[in-house]
Amino acid sequence: MMDRDTLLDVRDMTVAFGKGRNRNVAVRGLSYTLKKGETLAIVGESGSGKSVSSMALLGLLPPNSASIEGGTATFHGRDLLSLPEKDQRSLRGDRITMIFQEPMTSLTPVLRIGIQLTEALIEHKNMTKAEAEARAREMLVLVGLDRPEHRMRQFPHELSGGMRQRIMIAMAMAADPEILIADEPTTALDVTVQAQILDLMRTLKREFGTSIILITHDMGVVAEMADRVVVMNRGEKVEEGPVAEIFAAPRQEYTKRLLASVPRLGTMAGTSAPRTVVAEPRQVGEVLVRAEGLNKTFAERSWLFAPAKPGTVAMKDVGFDLRAGETLALVGESGSGKSTTGRAVLRLMEVDTGRIEIKGTNVRGLGVAGLRRARRQMQMIFQDPFASLNPRISAGGLVAEPMVIHRLASGRELEDRVEELFLRVGLERDHIRRYPHEFSGGQRQRLCIARALGVGPELIVADEPTSALDVSVQAQVLDLMLELQQSLGLAYLFISHDMAVVEQMAHRVAVMRKGQIVEIGARQAVLNDPQHPYTRALLAAVPVPDPGRVRGALPTLDLATLPTGPLAEVAPGHMVAQ
Amino acid sequence: MARFIAQRLLAALVTIWIATIAVTLLIHLVPGDPVRIMYGSFQTTPEQLEEIRQRLGLDQPIWKQYLYYLGRLAQGDLGRSIVGDQPVADILLTRFPATLALTLTSLVIAVVVGMSLGFLAAYKRGTWVDAGAMVLAVIGVSMPHFWLGLLLLFLFALQLGWLPVAGGDWKSLILPALTLGLANAAVLARMTRSAMIDIFDQDFVRTARAKGLPRAVVLYRHALRSGLVPIVSMLGLQFAYLMGGAIVVENVFAWNGVGRLAIQAVFARDYPLIQGFILFFATVVALASVIVDVAYAFLDPRIRYS
Amino acid sequence: MTDTVTLAAHPEDAASARKTGFFRALLSSPTGIIGLAIVGLLLIVALAAPLLAPHDPLRMAAGPRLQPPSWQHWMGTDDFGRDVLSRIIYGAQLTLQIGAIAVGISLTSGLFLGLVAGYASGWAEKVLMRLVDVLFSFTEIVIALACLAIFGVGLTNAMIAIGIASIPFYARVTHSVVLVEKNKPYFEAAVAAGAGHGRLIFRHLLPNVVPTLIVVGTLGVSTAVLAAAGLSFLGLGAQPPQPEWGFMLSSSRDLISRAPWMMIFPGLAIAFTVLGFNLLGDGVREALDPRQRQR
Repeated sequence: MMDRDTLLDVRDMTVAFGKGRNRNVAVRGLSYTLKKGETLAIVGESGSGKSVSSMALLGLLPPNSASIEGGTATFHGRDLLSLPEKDQRSLRGDRITMIFQEPMTSLTPVLRIGIQLTEALIEHKNMTKAEAEARAREMLVLVGLDRPEHRMRQFPHELSGGMRQRIMIAMAMAADPEILIADEPTTALDVTVQAQILDLMRTLKREFGTSIILITHDMGVVAEMADRVVVMNRGEKVEEGPVAEIFAAPRQEYTKRLLASVPRLGTMAGTSAPRTVVAEPRQVGEVLVRAEGLNKTFAERSWLFAPAKPGTVAMKDVGFDLRAGETLALVGESGSGKSTTGRAVLRLMEVDTGRIEIKGTNVRGLGVAGLRRARRQMQMIFQDPFASLNPRISAGGLVAEPMVIHRLASGRELEDRVEELFLRVGLERDHIRRYPHEFSGGQRQRLCIARALGVGPELIVADEPTSALDVSVQAQVLDLMLELQQSLGLAYLFISHDMAVVEQMAHRVAVMRKGQIVEIGARQAVLNDPQHPYTRALLAAVPVPDPGRVRGALPTLDLATLPTGPLAEVAPGHMVAQ
Repeated sequence: MARFIAQRLLAALVTIWIATIAVTLLIHLVPGDPVRIMYGSFQTTPEQLEEIRQRLGLDQPIWKQYLYYLGRLAQGDLGRSIVGDQPVADILLTRFPATLALTLTSLVIAVVVGMSLGFLAAYKRGTWVDAGAMVLAVIGVSMPHFWLGLLLLFLFALQLGWLPVAGGDWKSLILPALTLGLANAAVLARMTRSAMIDIFDQDFVRTARAKGLPRAVVLYRHALRSGLVPIVSMLGLQFAYLMGGAIVVENVFAWNGVGRLAIQAVFARDYPLIQGFILFFATVVALASVIVDVAYAFLDPRIRYS
Repeated sequence: MTDTVTLAAHPEDAASARKTGFFRALLSSPTGIIGLAIVGLLLIVALAAPLLAPHDPLRMAAGPRLQPPSWQHWMGTDDFGRDVLSRIIYGAQLTLQIGAIAVGISLTSGLFLGLVAGYASGWAEKVLMRLVDVLFSFTEIVIALACLAIFGVGLTNAMIAIGIASIPFYARVTHSVVLVEKNKPYFEAAVAAGAGHGRLIFRHLLPNVVPTLIVVGTLGVSTAVLAAAGLSFLGLGAQPPQPEWGFMLSSSRDLISRAPWMMIFPGLAIAFTVLGFNLLGDGVREALDPRQRQR
């Protein structure tokens, strides 16, 4: 079956962790081929074995725990899986290179960038130090970094995540490899940076003619980058095919479900409200939360010998209204202040100035007892359902806790309420006595929701409630949240970096950048007709899970002319920073 | 960097300052009359005791005593030892070189033996080398210093006759330094192993391996250089432990350092000497930790270039 | 639904499943088993000392002086003709008592200080922890010496001194664990739910801090036993004729070439005890933290 175009031929690869009773198969009988110059995406949710299978190709599996139990991977007539370490090493970093998910931790902190860029070249290409450095500088320019001479002398901590990922790419491409394995290369990055990195990878691929194995969970990235796709689930290949075919006509049930649960930006462009999931949804009501002029600066710790620094501005004149039964989405990239705003509303953090009213009560003026009473009305759901449940309290105890705190029920009544809540969020009766570690991610997020619902709140602040979850689980949790809102009339302050999710959930959207709301308005208006350049850039950067759609050039943000002044109304209810 | 060093120096000064308060309070925490306890064994009349009390300033209110103490301290005066009737500062300074020699020699032994053992164990994780090194280390950690000292003394000095039982020259330094060094090498081996294992699991070590670099380069250039940062930061504490351990070991080998002096002072209830010793000890440890912090900062570019 | 649920052995009672899981994990590591066996043996020896000891540990001239190990006296006799084995057996009582009292003092006070400092945060925390750090850098032995200079020498005072001397260590450990736990989202989730101070401390923080402190406390018995033996060796702890191991060693020093058994056996007893608690502590840590097990 091996034709001349085939660069890598993987047959029946099986990888397992542990031995004997603890043996756990991570990859089972995986086969695929990689052609010259193509980008092959291996997609799957967590635990699908997509990363493990690629690490195995390079001999990078943890030596003590993982073992390759069978299969071959033919590359230029040699089997990568059974190659002696020495020969494997001579391919690694030269013919086959790799970039990783975490740019922040993937560079050695104590070594200068220059050393890290040149060492593989000196090792594999027999270059002199000067030759390698010249090549490294050339690569730095190629990946879009300025002042290459200066970069070479810097240490990793002096660079941002996006810059570090560019360095990683420069490192991987410098040797002009035949195969580049990219393991979730943009997952840890903000969406605008992700778009730039993906652009860069495409350009370099064209220039170098490298074949890419792209490992990702993001169908948008797949659609944008891949020629062909391998879908994996629980260690096995589900299906394989050209990208257009996989998206247009998936054959397997799993692929269909996976694609169906991917939120697509633009699907809700025609309606103003989120999808209706109950027969008689509650309508948007009176103003519940009103925030005005919120400011918060995290002071840099000043020391005796250093002048006090200005500090980081987390919120700058942030204000908004939120009505009962309504979802206001706060969107933005990391460091935009969206989480800070959510926490400030619940007074989990004190702001410097500003006013927060909930049903007309000034939350900032409340004393300890008043605040505690107020917290009955407002609950929170956190990003990481693994960490936001106390591991030493049973699921039932956790769900009961807010009701116990607010003395809403006790004894038999409490037990009944807990059971009711478990069933309400789609958990089962016998889950009550289990402990958090016995639940999956999606179930834990359901627990968090049940916990929040117990006290009958009117406002729920949801901080990236699904970003730690797989897409199929995300869809279920979002559905549950919609259903609860429409039957109970809950107001959501929905914090998210994912525009497609926001489109599904929100009535109104506020876009934040560097602590400031730069655009706020009805969801339809903001997403369909963005006025602020930053909003436009953000929307343009979202990868679209449709291989047929070609995205144009990314708009470049001119920071010098970016409007960051006060908000002004451009249309009824639609405000934009001037 | 300069700011970092300034911060560390300030922290050391705070330590020393708190030590001055602690030693002033010390004498007031003694149940009963410290003067009577100190001089109880001498033939003294109540008038004499009163005079001593006045001489030590113990009839003054405590804050006055403290200021008085600080004033004398500024002139390098730590008071006079009761037993030997000599200035405490002089006694400590005469005895200190012996302790410093012992502590530094054992620090070298501990670092060389402990770090290589720990590094080897981490590198060979899960093999018999690792198991063997760690069994050795846990036994080392469990052995009382003074017993190890007695065993070495018994073996090398009494049975084999290679080394002197006691004395003051470099030969007699070998056994106490070995005792103290090996005991702390065990601690350091365990810490090094776990620090290195943390490093080996880091993403950047995987990156280095993915570049196809030779094992030795991955190990020394990437892993060890990064691993040194947390390991060096532990050395300040190690030095303090060695100084503390020296108190016991000096007594086993009759090594005439400040540790032996301290024990004699506690027995004799020679409070000025005890106070002087504690302050002196705190100062040395604080300064050592400044040196270690600076070394640490030098290894870590995140601090060096900030 | 792709969600999977890991079922406990007895889903109807997850709590008990977790506990048996802990003991199974403890007993499945060689470290844990050996540690548990040694500590168990020590407890038995200490409790059954009157039954096990062949002689009165304090009776002088139970046999001839300085007799090497024999059938009569398995570990020989000391310079007063006392049976070394019997003294070692009774010494186990003192040693365990030292461990319990010293660790009891330092653990409870350290836990209290660390918890208060970590929970309070802000100004109080800074001052408290700065002080604790400074005391910690004085090292335990110097603080213990200072305490003994205040209280006077003796075994009880030595136990208390060691207990006080280790408070900074326990306070630091508690404080660092509290900080870690406090920064986990579950803590903020509890605050957001409206929990008050009592609930936050006792229901959320404490149960997550205690496991670490059990480990540290077990390892701390080793440190306390070593420290007490050291002080007794220096003559600051146990006084004649107490059958304390460290003290027995100090009386062996001058007779080391004539009667090496007087030096060897008490030292072995101390090392064995310390090893037992060290291994038990390591075993408990591994059992509590599965991540550590792969190490």
